[in-house]
Amino acid sequence: MTELLKIEWLKIKNYSAFIVLSLFFALGVVGANYAVYVFKTNVIDKSDPTPGLISSIKFYDFAHTWQTTSYVSGFLLLLPGLLLILLITNEFNFRTHRQNILDGWSRSEFFNVKLALVVIAALASTLLVFLTGLVFGFASGTSFSFENIEAVGYFFLKSLTYNMVALLFGVLIRKTGFAIGLYFVYMFFENFISALLEGLSFYLKVQNGFDIGNMGDYLPMNASDALLTFPKNVVTDMAKNSSVAPHTYSWLIFGLAILYLAIFYVWSRSRIIKTDL
Amino acid sequence: MAVLTVENLRKDYGRIQALKGVSFSVPEGAVFGILGPNGSGKTTLLGLITDILKATAGSYKLFNEEPNESHRRQMGTFLETPNFYHYLSAVRNLRISAAIKQRGGDDIDRVIEVVNLTQRKDSRFSTYSLGMKQRLAIASCLLGNPNVLILDEPTNGLDPVGIAETRELIKKLHQQGKTIIMASHLLDEVEKVCTHVAILKKGELIAAGHVNDILANEDIVEISAADMNKLQQVAKTLSGYTNLKAEENILKLFYPLGTADLEQINRSFFEHGVVLNGLQVKKKSLESKFFELTN
Repeated sequence: MTELLKIEWLKIKNYSAFIVLSLFFALGVVGANYAVYVFKTNVIDKSDPTPGLISSIKFYDFAHTWQTTSYVSGFLLLLPGLLLILLITNEFNFRTHRQNILDGWSRSEFFNVKLALVVIAALASTLLVFLTGLVFGFASGTSFSFENIEAVGYFFLKSLTYNMVALLFGVLIRKTGFAIGLYFVYMFFENFISALLEGLSFYLKVQNGFDIGNMGDYLPMNASDALLTFPKNVVTDMAKNSSVAPHTYSWLIFGLAILYLAIFYVWSRSRIIKTDL
Repeated sequence: MAVLTVENLRKDYGRIQALKGVSFSVPEGAVFGILGPNGSGKTTLLGLITDILKATAGSYKLFNEEPNESHRRQMGTFLETPNFYHYLSAVRNLRISAAIKQRGGDDIDRVIEVVNLTQRKDSRFSTYSLGMKQRLAIASCLLGNPNVLILDEPTNGLDPVGIAETRELIKKLHQQGKTIIMASHLLDEVEKVCTHVAILKKGELIAAGHVNDILANEDIVEISAADMNKLQQVAKTLSGYTNLKAEENILKLFYPLGTADLEQINRSFFEHGVVLNGLQVKKKSLESKFFELTN
């Protein structure tokens, strides 16, 4: 695999979109968290409309910083997804996916190295979020703690999901423009359906006492989104404990998120292994 | 040893049968031409034997073994179009190919020189002309000096000089003992460089074998003399040929394969008072053979 990755690196290192998008993402993660940090300490905390309530929530204190940085950074995961779509559809546009095979890669080597990119991108994003969380945690003047570190794990899962969807769209659609367009359209569409299902879940619970959780959380990309929640605080606890909100079955959502990843894997792999290139 | 053995290979695209059960084998050291008009299944055939396409039925072997990627690393393959990363230079593209082939990393400058791209080796691929792209693709095939080359329409898009150079290159590689499998719709090209030929028509193999066996099923003796009328009169008195055709300044006598005796013919005319100023045996031209086979 190291050899395969070295070859992949030859393709990537001089690709300008790689440098630009990676930089955007890195600056975005740090910048977005910095913006939230500054806004919270300089604006909200100084003019709290709910005296004591909101300003009591310390977003970037240790124990909270993992969840806050993961949650805020989650909105930027489209950028690595975009980059992966470009890297994958480039192969089809340049027909180098064929040349790689002609030159002596097996089809599974071609797929595996792309899968490795997906995982590496997710790991790198997660490491960046971990470091950001660490820095803001110390900046808040609190002492280090691993409490709530699972949020970083959920960020990894979410990142992996976004990247796997990008891989799948790239492999299935092949055309850069279409793949990127559909990636966004799909995300919008899924969020729309998810919102409808969420409404339906509330309705069923209130009207019929029927509660199988928020069904909006059971869709492919929303499942991993749902695990990475807004930092726990007094307000979210109130919402969660209200009698109209459906119960949250975290284990079910987690199971589904893993199941969807498995489906993306099998689907994209079989496309490369079994069909004409 | 057979470099490639194809058995009953079939490929369907929906209801279209692109290749209808083709079998043949390519001996080591051959320049094997796969000849056919556009859409006859040449590229499909090459795609199948390189694992780019999946066969509907049938099988093939490389170097007498079940095919796998290590076989492909021992071949230089150029299929259909030059496939390179547009944003990388020639050298950087070849570095990727060489790394995948696990050979030829130190061979890059040489192959670029062979195809005359040294001056532009650091330019991005996207700035190349069609002919230069084609030449880079040929260079990539030569990386690591493989013993087998698969070339799909290698002279497509090249200027006359490029075509002649490519032809010379193929001849030179043949002399070095390389096996070359080459698809082409240019009869002339196949006739000039190939030792073996397979002719495809609408996905069917209609002939395969040694060029001489496929192309020559009769001897054509071309003769000429100062007095063409007299020549024709005398010719009509001779026997042994099956057909006679008069063309401007040339008379063609068609003999069954291997029966034309030039000495005897020359003597006969001389004895009848005609001095020949031209006398030669020609194989049936590939073009006429090709049309005969594919029509």
